[in-house]
Amino acid sequence: MNTDLVIGMAGSGGDGIVSAGESLLTAAAIEGYHGVLTKSFGPQIRGGESSFRLRLSTNKVLNTGGTLDIAVALNWDDFLRFGGELPVSGHTTVVYDSITKVPTDKIPLVGVQPAEVIAVPIEQMARETGGSERAKNTVVLGLMAGWLGIAREPMMAGIRKRLAKKEAEIIDKAVKAFHAGFEYAEAHPLTSDRKMAPPAESGSKFVVDGNDLCAAAAIVAGCDFFAGYPITPSTEIMQFLTREIWKYGGTVLQAEDEIAGIGAVVGASFAGKKAMTATSGPGMSLKTEILGLASIAELPLVCVNVQRGGPSTGIPTKSEQSDLLQAAFSAHGDVIRPVLAPVSAEDMYGITIEAFNIAEQYQSPVIILSDQEVGQRKETADPIDASTQQVIDRRRPGAQELEKYVRFRFTESGISPISHPGMARGNYLASGIEHNEAGAPTANGEMHARMNEKRLRKFRPLLDRRDLFIIDGPPDAPIALISWGSVAGVAIEALHIAQRQGLKVKLLVPKLMFPVSEAIYADFFLSVKRGLVVEQNHQAQLFRLMRMYVDVPHGIQTLAKSGSNPITPLEVVDRLRQITLALQQGKDREPSEV
Amino acid sequence: MSTLATKPIQDYTARDYRSDLKPIWCPGCGDFGVVQAIYRALANIGRPPHEIAFVSGIGCSSRIPGYTTAYGFNSVHGRALPIAQGIKLANPNLLVLVAGGDGDGFSIGGGHVAHAIRRNIDLTYIVMDNQIYGLTKGQLSPTSRRGLISVTSAHGSMEAPVNPLLYVLGYGAEFVAQGTPADMSGLAKVIEEGIRFPGFAFINVQSPCVTYGLEDQQLKAQKALMQPLESLNHDSSSSLAAMELAQQYGEKLYTGVLYRQGTPSPTFEGSARARHQALGAGTRPRAQVMDLFKLKK
Repeated sequence: MNTDLVIGMAGSGGDGIVSAGESLLTAAAIEGYHGVLTKSFGPQIRGGESSFRLRLSTNKVLNTGGTLDIAVALNWDDFLRFGGELPVSGHTTVVYDSITKVPTDKIPLVGVQPAEVIAVPIEQMARETGGSERAKNTVVLGLMAGWLGIAREPMMAGIRKRLAKKEAEIIDKAVKAFHAGFEYAEAHPLTSDRKMAPPAESGSKFVVDGNDLCAAAAIVAGCDFFAGYPITPSTEIMQFLTREIWKYGGTVLQAEDEIAGIGAVVGASFAGKKAMTATSGPGMSLKTEILGLASIAELPLVCVNVQRGGPSTGIPTKSEQSDLLQAAFSAHGDVIRPVLAPVSAEDMYGITIEAFNIAEQYQSPVIILSDQEVGQRKETADPIDASTQQVIDRRRPGAQELEKYVRFRFTESGISPISHPGMARGNYLASGIEHNEAGAPTANGEMHARMNEKRLRKFRPLLDRRDLFIIDGPPDAPIALISWGSVAGVAIEALHIAQRQGLKVKLLVPKLMFPVSEAIYADFFLSVKRGLVVEQNHQAQLFRLMRMYVDVPHGIQTLAKSGSNPITPLEVVDRLRQITLALQQGKDREPSEV
Repeated sequence: MSTLATKPIQDYTARDYRSDLKPIWCPGCGDFGVVQAIYRALANIGRPPHEIAFVSGIGCSSRIPGYTTAYGFNSVHGRALPIAQGIKLANPNLLVLVAGGDGDGFSIGGGHVAHAIRRNIDLTYIVMDNQIYGLTKGQLSPTSRRGLISVTSAHGSMEAPVNPLLYVLGYGAEFVAQGTPADMSGLAKVIEEGIRFPGFAFINVQSPCVTYGLEDQQLKAQKALMQPLESLNHDSSSSLAAMELAQQYGEKLYTGVLYRQGTPSPTFEGSARARHQALGAGTRPRAQVMDLFKLKK
């Protein structure tokens, strides 16, 4: 019995690969399994090659796993195009369509001898039952249901539901195709047992992806306005909002460019509404100036960066974590704006609500650093009840403050109550130019220094937000494991594996990336002699950022890879073992290891 | 900044819209006249200052919001229009004004003009067109004439000027007017009409730069050159007639309304309101959006 399986499947664009993956995830989720599904495509707009990776587990999983347990190739050319995204090992059961006419001992996988290789007449069964090759994915679903021993009823129900609007004959053929696959699996059991153990808890879950969940959370948080520009891999956020937010009284504007998008959001915020935009790296670069305007004008807003491969156009369809330094520092002048990073699609809900709350409370733009992995992968999540969600609104001036309203009044907290057009007696001039308390333009050095001080000091309470960090493991452990964003999901799993192997490791995952909470990091580092910062960018940006603000122990080193290069839990555990050994032998950290 | 309590509409005077901030403009600057005309237009309309949002970019003319008692937003160069649209969509009940120079609007801001027009969001865009960059001390602008010698065209500009009137007419603006502080009542009139027009309204103001502008651009020369359209038998309901006049930008100075669409197109915010009503906005709790992630067995 298996508690954790990774299935990978590839074929041509028209084969229904992606919908097969989604059907499998959904059906498994109905039975109470946890899962993470990622999809990958060739560069063509239509056709081309397409694939999915689905990890199913009896317990929560936070990453897409390592090598495949089951690999399904509808044809070999397309399967091979995905290379390291669908890694086959000596443990893999390889299933492929016998129509490829490739003998089982001559499959084109170089340098690997899979555990088992089976040729299945997938297309033949599809034609015989469904009347066309388009039923191939349904046949595969039947095979999976049979071999994994799960989700037969939910998958059948799913097929019927998906085809509900078609004629009975079509539904009938699809059900037959599913059964053909199922019966084939029963008649041809696998030599490696791939049956799944029952899930840890029963009960249906949510199935979410980070982009859709971000948009939904924004609505829950009270967002009334979104303006943005299409850019991969963030556009789903705008698309969700344009379907849904009108129903709640909100407005979506597809702006003429990235700059107009953030401009309209700043305007909506000035007018008193909660507002958001979403983009990726290139869009963040374009929005830089107006984000700075929002900071000096002390206007709340949320700006989501669904990071992708950079720099410049980079790799639009692949995940990377290389915009951290930009998020922290791209504004010219002395600016702090909070930066939050979710660790999973599910985490996007809480992070988005938090982003709006922080934006309103501190009257500032807040950047959410999501990434393509978190944004677009589908995962199971515990059901979210939004009906009791608490949200924070900006502090508005009361009647007494409006007697003689001073918009940027120096206060103890640094936060000044904020009015908006329409509010009587609250009239003021907002500007990008430096200003005095009343908002009048000034070039005076002393006023400028005091305003900078006010604008930066107001964020101090954020530095105490331990709830925006994941800290796990024995507090006195000498080895630190640090990671962020979607890669944290790999680190968390690596931590558990390392601990089971007796390694003395503790974990730190910041969700508040900036400002850097020196005290929280320093406290964590007290016991630490060696450690590893794991992230998906070439320059080890979190590592560098920490060292700017914190006395990072000399023994900390990095595992930093460019995007489109998966990082696996076992690889992290390997490095932790090496570090443990080095620590035991009293070896110093090599300069080349950072 | 002075603030004002609400008065009955008929009691508002120009004084109520003037703030205490002292303008940075040079004595004799055309913008003094423009801001006076704005005060007068607003007084005739009688909306309280706190219901007015006045957005600008960067430039001498962009200082204007600070010289009024409205909520002002002196933003960044070229981006006033997107910001103003966000304000209006967030609260369509506000009276939204936008101001800037020819550089702010047609150089760095040029890409946004077309889209403000096609969305037809109800706001009034006043461009103080003086064919030069005044605040930064004398560089050429997109409406500078060919051959202009300036601090950034030491040997003469090699470019043809943008025609702001043709630009906005070409993109389908439904209210286009021109004015000059050389005719204050005419200017106040077109500004008021633009504000009252239910949709995007564009007013090009030949507001001369007294420090860096040319002799033949100053108010005295304008007074001699200007031709009020009312006295010219111009049919302002014809966009083609308007374009013919617009072609002569630079040679002639037509003042008044060049074009006013008789049956204005729907505004973005008007369509948005209709959509909100049709979809039952406000009848459901926000938490309901989470139902979309539930799995039905």
